[in-house]
Amino acid sequence: MKSTAILGMAAVLLSASLAGCGSSPSTAPSAKSIKDITIGTLYAKSGAFATSSMPEYSGLTFWASQINKTGGVYVKALHKKVPVKIVAYNDQSSATTATTLYSQLITVNHVNILVADFGSVLTSVAVPIAQEKKMLLFDQTGTGASFFTPSNPYIVLTSLPTSGLWPTSLAQYLIHKGYSRIAIVYATNDFDQSQDQTLVSKLKAAHITPVYNNGVPTSTSSYSVLLNNMSHTNPQAVIELGYPNNDIAFLQALKASGDHFNMVFTIFPGQLPQLFVSSVGPSSINNTYTYPAPPLLTFSHVNYGLNTAQFDLAFKKATGQSTNFLSIAGYNTGLIIQKTLSTANSLNQLSLRHAVSRFSGSLSTLDGTFKIDSKGAQIGETLPVGKITTNSKGRVSVQFVTSPNS
Amino acid sequence: MLNTQLVEAGKRQRGRLLINGVIPFLVLVGFSLSPFVYANQAILFQMMAFMALAQGVNLLYGFTGYLPFGYVGFFGIGAYGMAISIQLLHFPGLLAVVMGGLLSAIIAIIFLPLLRLSGAYFAISSLAAAEVLSNVVSNSAMIHITNGPYGEQLTQSYHPVTSYVAMVIVLVLTTVTVIFIRNMPFGRALMAIREDPVSAAMAGIAVVRSRSIVWLLSALIAGLTGAIFGWHLSVFYPNTVFDLNISILAIVFTLFGGYGTVTGPVLGSIVLYGLYNAIGISDPQYFQLIYGLLIVALVLFLPGGIISLIQRRGNYVP
Repeated sequence: MKSTAILGMAAVLLSASLAGCGSSPSTAPSAKSIKDITIGTLYAKSGAFATSSMPEYSGLTFWASQINKTGGVYVKALHKKVPVKIVAYNDQSSATTATTLYSQLITVNHVNILVADFGSVLTSVAVPIAQEKKMLLFDQTGTGASFFTPSNPYIVLTSLPTSGLWPTSLAQYLIHKGYSRIAIVYATNDFDQSQDQTLVSKLKAAHITPVYNNGVPTSTSSYSVLLNNMSHTNPQAVIELGYPNNDIAFLQALKASGDHFNMVFTIFPGQLPQLFVSSVGPSSINNTYTYPAPPLLTFSHVNYGLNTAQFDLAFKKATGQSTNFLSIAGYNTGLIIQKTLSTANSLNQLSLRHAVSRFSGSLSTLDGTFKIDSKGAQIGETLPVGKITTNSKGRVSVQFVTSPNS
Repeated sequence: MLNTQLVEAGKRQRGRLLINGVIPFLVLVGFSLSPFVYANQAILFQMMAFMALAQGVNLLYGFTGYLPFGYVGFFGIGAYGMAISIQLLHFPGLLAVVMGGLLSAIIAIIFLPLLRLSGAYFAISSLAAAEVLSNVVSNSAMIHITNGPYGEQLTQSYHPVTSYVAMVIVLVLTTVTVIFIRNMPFGRALMAIREDPVSAAMAGIAVVRSRSIVWLLSALIAGLTGAIFGWHLSVFYPNTVFDLNISILAIVFTLFGGYGTVTGPVLGSIVLYGLYNAIGISDPQYFQLIYGLLIVALVLFLPGGIISLIQRRGNYVP
């Protein structure tokens, strides 16, 4: 009966393969026995979100190394400082893989704190798992409005407002400049289409109907034909809403086309300026508009953690990497966790959530004011509009055209 | 003498039936008990989902020779069919899963003309069909039906335990279906079509009808799996359920284990998905290297998968 042996082998393999998936402590450690605070998170080392996820992860690990140098994070519930340990897995930008890994962090690694990976797609799968397992999810940059519901207390957005709020300042500027011929192209995903909807509704409220408003798949890598179609509508302002790869492809096509418009707007040069300088060249983003985010946007009043200049210096020294918004967002997440642990009366997840609500609005970090609404969505940070200027050496600076404090 | 041979043949037949019956039993017991010894249900759930998909691919590729690179299209449609049934029709979860499977079968009927192609042309056209489905679902003009690019949120219907049980049932049913087809004259007819459709047609086999039935069955399996997968996730975007990697993994698991058998996809899913979670998560670069080398080695030296090593020695493998 060799076939039975094969089936037996399959059963053994099933057990062995599951055993190889990680060790499973039978019980979660009690508060008294906690030797370190484990922070579970995911990062994408490859795939579509790698360019954004990795700097964010670097920011978080930088925060952990900084806090460990001082003896660890102060945990009010334990009345002592405890070292921080980061448990992280590579989800390779796959939401399917991320599902098993978030579950792994909660059920097998029994982490104390759960932090989401970059963006809405990789955060989305964590939301129901965290809610079901009653684990507070520190959402770094997943700005999908649908994540935040009154019935779910287990989520907090640490950086950036929900994406639907982003274009408020952009619409204000377009209306203020009196542009009536506006062309918009957006990637058909949650993040960009919600911005398009907000922008169009605000423009329509000011009696401006875009002359061009089309969605394209997020995987679009050539904008030449689209630009040609847009230029035929003679727009004064061209707005492209996409992820970094879309923005890069759009700016490359714009450079190749030789077209000129009074105003060109893209989202990510304000967050990842060095990536854009190296990908499309300094001249391609010169005089274009964007949402400047830290470190291009600095806040004078910082009452918690390093300020932008200090972070820039320390981060470069520790990691050898230059600062961008996402590394700041990762560091900012660490600061929010630090404040939460230092003010929460217990390590119970709802207690952590209540602690976040208590200090909401009073915390000013290098990322701006941390303030959340009752659903956990970020409302303190704002995104102004700025005009990018670059020099021949690739140095990027920004002139704000709307108030950074609006 | 003849009597002895008949008795022997009868014994062999009964033995084979028993062995065939052991597979769904092991699958049922294994995945029903695993959550009690291993806490990460998500890994177990996805292993089941990939196993069911691998059986679906096996049904199509193993029995007819059609390699469906766009198999994920049916999977994604199943997930959306389920989501639409819950959101718009307010169906309960289990009924919505059935609707997801049916919607995939309907889409498979629409795409039936693809079966007029063969080989690489079919593989590429099925991939294009999946892309079309993905873009239709995520199109902003479909926002009132599929919620377009915003994806689906079904947290009100989130039932991880029920969806886990549903996945076990679908996997067992899928395995039983493959066993039946493999051991029925219909399965042998399909294999004859796979080897030479012209000769099969001349021998009186209804080539078009047989292929169409398997195509629909395979789509139904992917649809049901996708529907339960979406239900289990409860929050997903179009690119989560139309991710091409889902097709690729299901195909690789089938080829690795051995297509045209019942055990092959089960073994392939356990070994490779287990390997993926044991090595791929901590060191994905090594895993991808191992994966790549494995595929090259399989194509060159073991096109029938690891099961063929046993079959070569004249052993029966279910």
